[in-house]
Amino acid sequence: MKLLMRFLKPYKKLVAITLIVLLLDNTGTLLVPTMLANMVNTGIANGDLDHLISGGAFMLGASMLASGGALTGAYLAARLSSNVGRDIRNAIYDSSLAFSSSDFERFGTGSMITRTLNDINVIQQSIIATIQMVLPLPFLCVVGITMACLIDWQMGLLLAVVTAVVLVIAALTIANAAPIFMRLQKLIDRMNIVLRESIIGVRVIRAFTKERHEERRLDEVFSDYASSAIKVNMMFAGVDAASFFLMNITEVAVLWLGGDRVGAHAMEIASISAVLEYAMLILFYIMAAQMVALTLPRAIACLNRADEVISLTPEILDGQAASDAAADAGDTAGSDVVAAFDHATFRFSDADEDTLHDLDFVCRRGQTTAIIGSTGSGKSTVAKLLLRFHDVTDGAVRFCGRDIREMAQSELHERIAYVPQKAWLFSGTIASNLRFGNEEASETQMRHAIEVAQAEFVYEQPGRLEARVAQGGTNFSGGQRQRLSIARALMKRADLYIFDDSFSALDFKTDAALRRALKPETRHAAVLIIAQRISTILHADQIIVLKDGTVAGKGTHEELMESCEVYRAIAESQMKGGERHGA
Amino acid sequence: MARKDELKQDEREQDKVPLDEQLVTTGAASEEDAPEVPRDTWGTVRRLWAESRGQHWRFVVVIVSIVFYTGFSVAAPAYSAHVIDLLWTEIQAAFAQGRDFVVTWEHGGRDIAIYLGIWTLAFAFYSAQTFTMASFAERLNLMLRNRIARKLNRLPLAFFDSHKPGEVVSRATNDLDKMSEVLQTGLLRLLMSIGSVCGAIVMMFVYSPLLACIFLVFSALAILLTKIAAKRTLALAAERQSWVGHLTGAVEEAYSGRVIIRAFNRERASSADIHRLSQELADASRRADFLTNAAAPAIRFVGRLCQVVIAVIGCAMLVAGRLTVGTFQAFFQYIMQASEPLTQMSMTINTLQSALASVERVFDVLDEAEIEPDPAPELAAHVEQPVCGRVAFEHVRFGYDPERPLMRDVSFTAEPGRKIAIVGATGAGKTTLINLLMRFYEIDGGRITLDGVDTHAMSRAELRQNFGMVLQDAWLFEGTIAENIAYGRPDATREEIVRAAKMAHVDFFVRTMPDGYDTRVENDAENISQGQRQLLTIARVILTDPKILILDEATSSVDTRTEHAIVHAMENLMAGRTSFVIAHRLSTIVDADLILVMSAGTIIEQGTHEELLEAGGAYAALYNSQFM
Repeated sequence: MKLLMRFLKPYKKLVAITLIVLLLDNTGTLLVPTMLANMVNTGIANGDLDHLISGGAFMLGASMLASGGALTGAYLAARLSSNVGRDIRNAIYDSSLAFSSSDFERFGTGSMITRTLNDINVIQQSIIATIQMVLPLPFLCVVGITMACLIDWQMGLLLAVVTAVVLVIAALTIANAAPIFMRLQKLIDRMNIVLRESIIGVRVIRAFTKERHEERRLDEVFSDYASSAIKVNMMFAGVDAASFFLMNITEVAVLWLGGDRVGAHAMEIASISAVLEYAMLILFYIMAAQMVALTLPRAIACLNRADEVISLTPEILDGQAASDAAADAGDTAGSDVVAAFDHATFRFSDADEDTLHDLDFVCRRGQTTAIIGSTGSGKSTVAKLLLRFHDVTDGAVRFCGRDIREMAQSELHERIAYVPQKAWLFSGTIASNLRFGNEEASETQMRHAIEVAQAEFVYEQPGRLEARVAQGGTNFSGGQRQRLSIARALMKRADLYIFDDSFSALDFKTDAALRRALKPETRHAAVLIIAQRISTILHADQIIVLKDGTVAGKGTHEELMESCEVYRAIAESQMKGGERHGA
Repeated sequence: MARKDELKQDEREQDKVPLDEQLVTTGAASEEDAPEVPRDTWGTVRRLWAESRGQHWRFVVVIVSIVFYTGFSVAAPAYSAHVIDLLWTEIQAAFAQGRDFVVTWEHGGRDIAIYLGIWTLAFAFYSAQTFTMASFAERLNLMLRNRIARKLNRLPLAFFDSHKPGEVVSRATNDLDKMSEVLQTGLLRLLMSIGSVCGAIVMMFVYSPLLACIFLVFSALAILLTKIAAKRTLALAAERQSWVGHLTGAVEEAYSGRVIIRAFNRERASSADIHRLSQELADASRRADFLTNAAAPAIRFVGRLCQVVIAVIGCAMLVAGRLTVGTFQAFFQYIMQASEPLTQMSMTINTLQSALASVERVFDVLDEAEIEPDPAPELAAHVEQPVCGRVAFEHVRFGYDPERPLMRDVSFTAEPGRKIAIVGATGAGKTTLINLLMRFYEIDGGRITLDGVDTHAMSRAELRQNFGMVLQDAWLFEGTIAENIAYGRPDATREEIVRAAKMAHVDFFVRTMPDGYDTRVENDAENISQGQRQLLTIARVILTDPKILILDEATSSVDTRTEHAIVHAMENLMAGRTSFVIAHRLSTIVDADLILVMSAGTIIEQGTHEELLEAGGAYAALYNSQFM
């Protein structure tokens, strides 16, 4: 709720105007019955036709006031809610940009998309409904009762009592229904999930002959849903009947009391209908407001989910503008060490074992360092630590002599060229993707990067550099995507090039050619290659062997073949096809 | 009552739609574009009626209630005219005598009580039908849903391969919900409003044909306006939906590639992109929301105009003595009763039609052809346990479309305990072989035997219990990791589960999860990588200890060393059992006792590595291109 207030603040005026306009609508609506009654009363009393025309004109005026107010109100409410929705959406997206990988994974991509789009839509609709149906309600009740009082105070009192009773019923309904509704929603989700699972997993289910089991699971969620839904229906049928009955009683009471009051000269005969109409209007608006109120818990849940994202303090923040002197000192130290892991240890906050433990090695300028290990050995996390998508839990990672926690993340990223494990391209063109690495890149630069990355297939595409790239780059094969994402990284002049399993989809020949072409490109920089294939890293200056998050060996291929059993096992499993496969 | 279902609708739109479908549906705004029309309205209605057997009494109660309710609710205003006129006459008489008038039982009280009686009866019948209907639709739904659940298990795999999962899910959820909504409110409201609108209009003509005609003219105007607004609303909703689609695409792309955005310092550019689309969506939703919310006041305005005109003319008639106070107010009551349902009638009919179309889609699923039933238990062939594991294809003919066979005459024999590697380019139909082995699809000719027994003569359950299968799309369900591993053997102890996980080299990973083996797999298992999911499904198979193994590219995202470890573990585990491996890895292929080379859905070569290289055919070409 606090979040909503914050986002409504810039639109204070708009909120106020919207409310005023809607109050005009209500006023107009409530004036009509009295005017009609007056027309009839005077009509009966003196049969004055002129009076009828002017009465009709007044009624027309009130109708126009009401409808004009409602139309303007609808416009302003739509404007308000779409603006607020847009602002929250943008805020969520912008917050996400500062998240570390762990921050982001706390929500997950699917949930983040829901939060950015669907949730906001719920919030928007609730803003519209609330401002139109709920906020004007007290005003409407008060004015309605006042109008009835103006006709006759006893009638006003009667109406006040009826209003109070309806409000109590509505409040009770909301209190009872809200939890059931939440439950119902959960059951709908559950139904979707279980159904989906049993459809996607159909092969596995049949392979294990678990059809009966799945059937039971489905029946169970279906029955749960049905009984909850029936409960909700019954409850609403009850509310429906109760308000129907209340209306009957009110009508009869108004007639009886009205007859007395007219008989006592306190009011006129046609005003009975006016009072009845007020009672109907108030009942209708309270019921409508009650329905809106029932949707609010859901909207509040959406708001809270948005708030979780917006108010999350990123786990990783830029260091206190690290003293430039220190920075310079580090940089000019003349050392050829670009990146250094200094007994670095990393553990996910929710894990009870280190993902990486006591990593200690350096990447030197002009040298290639390779990391090899099996799935789950923590290889990719090494790259993430260097980019500060995660922070070490112990030890330190240094870049050109400075602890990366003391650098601005933008500076760190500026100096690292990164080819991620998942070769993801953005929709647009090949050129627009390459410009990720360098905004002002010339065509010559792009051509060069493409050549080095062995991505000449680009020239066979319609439009060449301007060839269309679909979201994620799905219109290119895995190997093509990898080469393009390598080209993208090469657009950048960096101190450190990280290739995270970036050659896996390439055939051996391309792999070898690419690495050959890469050599002169990265002469003045350090290179870190994370790989699964021995042939890719065979000629690295230094190979780090990871096993279950710890360094199991460090050295060149030859040294490791001698000394490291883990490495030898990997090598032997891959060399079985024959040594001839090496590059 | 009515509102509750709108609410439900709104909530349902927010259902967690899996990403892939979101992208598919949001772009096209398919369902919203035009009101759907059922193919065969009466046929579907008849069938639905037949399906709701056993609940017909509810329907009878409802119809009878509605008839009575309508009768009483049309009579009530007419009686109120009498009451008010009576009161007015008595009051005037009293005033003429110079005394006040007080309502007593004799003077008006009895008539008011009768009036209450009329409304109470209307109320009773109204409640009778709402309460009766409250469970009618959900019961019908539950029955149909249960039937879908059964049906899912009897549908051939071809059905699942040709329908998107979301499509099928939506049959059982959205389509049926739509039906129940309409049955509960739409239909009732339609029936009631037809009755009360007709009654009200008749009464109006009784009181004053002139005023009744004026009312009809304005109503026609309102209906016209409703139609125009509805059309525009649909167009604007589609526009809004298409921006939702664009933005969803952009946001999904940005979230998936966020690591790159950050690594390349592109935060600001990306934020600007999203903000631009976000603005477009805000503009579109402002337009759509405005129109949606403006339609009702605009139509109400027509209604008010109508009231003003009728008020002026009616008052004139009152003055002229052609109407009484009572009839005048009764006339206004009838206006209230008739105008809202009249303008909404076309909308209600649209929803009814689209609900029928939904029901038709559900019936379509229920009518899908089923797999042929297993042979009766006493007739079914059995393989002698323990199974040796000899699998043979004998002159097998098969095509997904029987008109265009892929395999014309395939024969091979997998000897017990041997490793059979299946190789071929992507799309060469390697999974077809698995489909046939497991009888996910039935062959069109020839036979497949297990230890010499025709698999077609066996029950599917008996056949499949001999196979262990690891598929390309590792399937995990919502449950704990331990439950997932023990899927094939729910009675497995924790020790056995951990042992299987260790053999599948996934134990370490599981222990790094927050709750270890009790971590729940949720959100489509997005916290578990593809490789790890595959390892988990391998552990699942290890636990069931099957006689024959099928590894469907199980190791494609697991590195060579782990793959080897797994293959070794499995070899040890099932010494003397048969395994089929779809493999890209050279080491696996070279190891194999038999290589089946597939192309265009059929086996074009078979033999050992050496034999096939020697032959210099497709395998040799493939081998040389892929491995230099």
